[in-house]
Amino acid sequence: MKKECVAMLLAGGQGSRLYALTSHVAKPAVPFGGKYRIIDFPLSNCINSGIDTVGVLTQYQPLELNAYIGNGQPWDLDRSDGGVHVLPPYVREGSYGTWYKGTANAIYQNIGFLQLYDPEYVLILSGDHIYKMDYAKMLKHHKEQNAACTISVLEVPLAEASRFGIMSVDDEDMIFEFQEKPKEPKSNLASMGIYIFTWSKLKEYLMADEQSSDSTNDFGGDIIPAMLSAGERMAAYRFQGYWKDVGTINSLWDANMDMLSPGSGIDLYDTSWPIFARSATKPPHFTGPDARVSHSMVTGGCEVYGTVENSVLFHSVTVEPGAQVRYSILMPGTVVKAGATVDYAIVAENAVIGEKASVGTPPPEDTENWGITVVAQEIEVGDGAVVPANAMVTRNVKGGEAE
Amino acid sequence: MMNKLHGIIFAYRSNADLRELTQNRNTCSVPYGGRYRIIDFMLSNYVNAGIADVGVIVHANYQSLLDHVGSGKDWDLSRKHGGLRILPPFGYANKQRGGVCRGRMDALEGVYSYLKNIRQEHVVLAGGDLAVNLPLRDIYAQHIASGADITAVCTRAPKGDPKSSVYFSLGADGRVADVSVHPFSPTGCESLEVYILSKSLLLSLVDHCAAHNIPSFSQGVLLSMVHSLKIMPYVYDGYAARLQSVASYYARSMELLDPKVRDALFVPERPIKTKDQSNPSTYYGSEGETERSLVADGCIIEGSVKNSILFRGVRVEAGAKVENCILMQGTAVQAGAVLKYTITDKNVRVNPGRMLMGHETYPLAIAKGEIV
Repeated sequence: MKKECVAMLLAGGQGSRLYALTSHVAKPAVPFGGKYRIIDFPLSNCINSGIDTVGVLTQYQPLELNAYIGNGQPWDLDRSDGGVHVLPPYVREGSYGTWYKGTANAIYQNIGFLQLYDPEYVLILSGDHIYKMDYAKMLKHHKEQNAACTISVLEVPLAEASRFGIMSVDDEDMIFEFQEKPKEPKSNLASMGIYIFTWSKLKEYLMADEQSSDSTNDFGGDIIPAMLSAGERMAAYRFQGYWKDVGTINSLWDANMDMLSPGSGIDLYDTSWPIFARSATKPPHFTGPDARVSHSMVTGGCEVYGTVENSVLFHSVTVEPGAQVRYSILMPGTVVKAGATVDYAIVAENAVIGEKASVGTPPPEDTENWGITVVAQEIEVGDGAVVPANAMVTRNVKGGEAE
Repeated sequence: MMNKLHGIIFAYRSNADLRELTQNRNTCSVPYGGRYRIIDFMLSNYVNAGIADVGVIVHANYQSLLDHVGSGKDWDLSRKHGGLRILPPFGYANKQRGGVCRGRMDALEGVYSYLKNIRQEHVVLAGGDLAVNLPLRDIYAQHIASGADITAVCTRAPKGDPKSSVYFSLGADGRVADVSVHPFSPTGCESLEVYILSKSLLLSLVDHCAAHNIPSFSQGVLLSMVHSLKIMPYVYDGYAARLQSVASYYARSMELLDPKVRDALFVPERPIKTKDQSNPSTYYGSEGETERSLVADGCIIEGSVKNSILFRGVRVEAGAKVENCILMQGTAVQAGAVLKYTITDKNVRVNPGRMLMGHETYPLAIAKGEIV
């Protein structure tokens, strides 16, 4: 049945800058904020914005992501008309068909899917940002501006602008120039990687882009510049609020810490814009007789007997007596044994930190070689082992051994 | 194998001694264990044993139960064929006794046409007011292996008030040799009121009891047929909680602070499922203190919490003290308030600086939505 707006969520990226955390899962499936995975944010934004048809384009390590999305029930996206659809690349007649070559090519390969819903507008999202946003307001702006494309932008400090796609706009916030990660940014309006296209226009440009042999088939690199040079109406939609790219170890750690700060600009407890998740079936968490938990998030199935400060614990984490966890993120099933310390670390699923082991350190005065420590999933750090700051542990560490 | 078993849950019991806790609900939907309603346990027991079709017999005060169970999707019981069926007391409408449900046989008679259409060969009958994690697959396997007419689950550790419990004396042949119903001084094993029998036997028993105007299962079946039917016990000595009064509700709840009790009730292979509410994690503020407490998701704890059970979405503000309490969903304890031995029902608000104190043997219960 016809839909006014269909969302396409690009979830096929490897997220290679998250290293060990994405060795088994696509980036959008990386756990975040105690109960969520990154993809819960755009999916929840969709349903809260009244968009009930979402295509999720998968390619890299899709199994866990597919299982997580399932029939879309946690997000109320289990619909008989619309709902969530997982869209992997597929073989076409005569053995044609390729992997998704770029973000634009991924949408091009799914023109057939979009035609099923014959939408007026297509919303393009990615699975690597943490934010709460009402896409309906952006769509309203797109319609009011009678734009071919609307790009959501955020004001960033000029010093950081070179990390982003930067938009130059006129008095009416129409975009006249786009620079991808410029050395000398001409504006401080950064693209958030969220686009609304009038579908008939986008289809035209996707078809043309596919014919061009020197294209990288990318929205930022090809489609947006092509539309700009053709003189299409390109609107900037200014977003105010919390938005964070969680594509690196540091930004993932930062964003998790932001969830602990009421002043960070995003409030998970605000029931007017809930973030939904597929939750594990676990009993409430338990804090033991000598537990000390402060400025932290704890969820179902956790058993805390030690000290937890400024940390985010996912479900079924055990912190044994005398263990200390500070400024760290412990993903589901982590066990921190008696007397161990974990500082400034991200510990992935089901890792075990042995008795009196030490993982990570607080930042010293000279922070040049210091960094967040990462322990990959299913890893065992032996009793008494010492894992220094900035380490990436991807094999078991024997007891008493320094990494 | 398990698709040969049909589940019936009796969800009409309402214990008057639960006072405030059953003002707006019956016993089966009383909140328990931080995030559950008591009926979650039996529903999950059934689902974890592979039972696909479940009939839940309700009678009065069941709006809260319907709201909780919904279509059954949280237990994977929202199915095209079978799945969860709520059985309201429609069948009593044209009876002379004015729609009163006097016991399990009355309840079953009221849903006789549902029972006739059961697709499975065997039926398990259980109450929705028992918190237990039963190995129902084993119980069913024993039922088949023993050739029993009825398998009755019972425990050697007394759980309930004798005045409202049934006890079995076991014979040398392993059968139930005698039954005593609501005695003053109990002997033998206490029945957990979980029974497995064949559909055909169930139908004939319901017919027999209806024709003789016997409303209760213990009178009409257990007592009168203990010699003519082969009733075999299944002794389950694991943890089970029956909630019959405010005091026993409090005592059984506080037992959950013991890790051994939680291990017995929350078995990873047989998870207890409940209605999903999409709460975020619980946040502990920098001044928050917590010790020996069971805390569900979505709470914000800025004050001090000791020896307590907090349901989803509870707020404990800075300077507030909560000790030996059970705070149900959405309770707000405002700055500086002190609560000891208190049970607050859903959405209770305790204003700043208030002090509420019950006693271990007589906890204070505050009804749903009250503002103190």
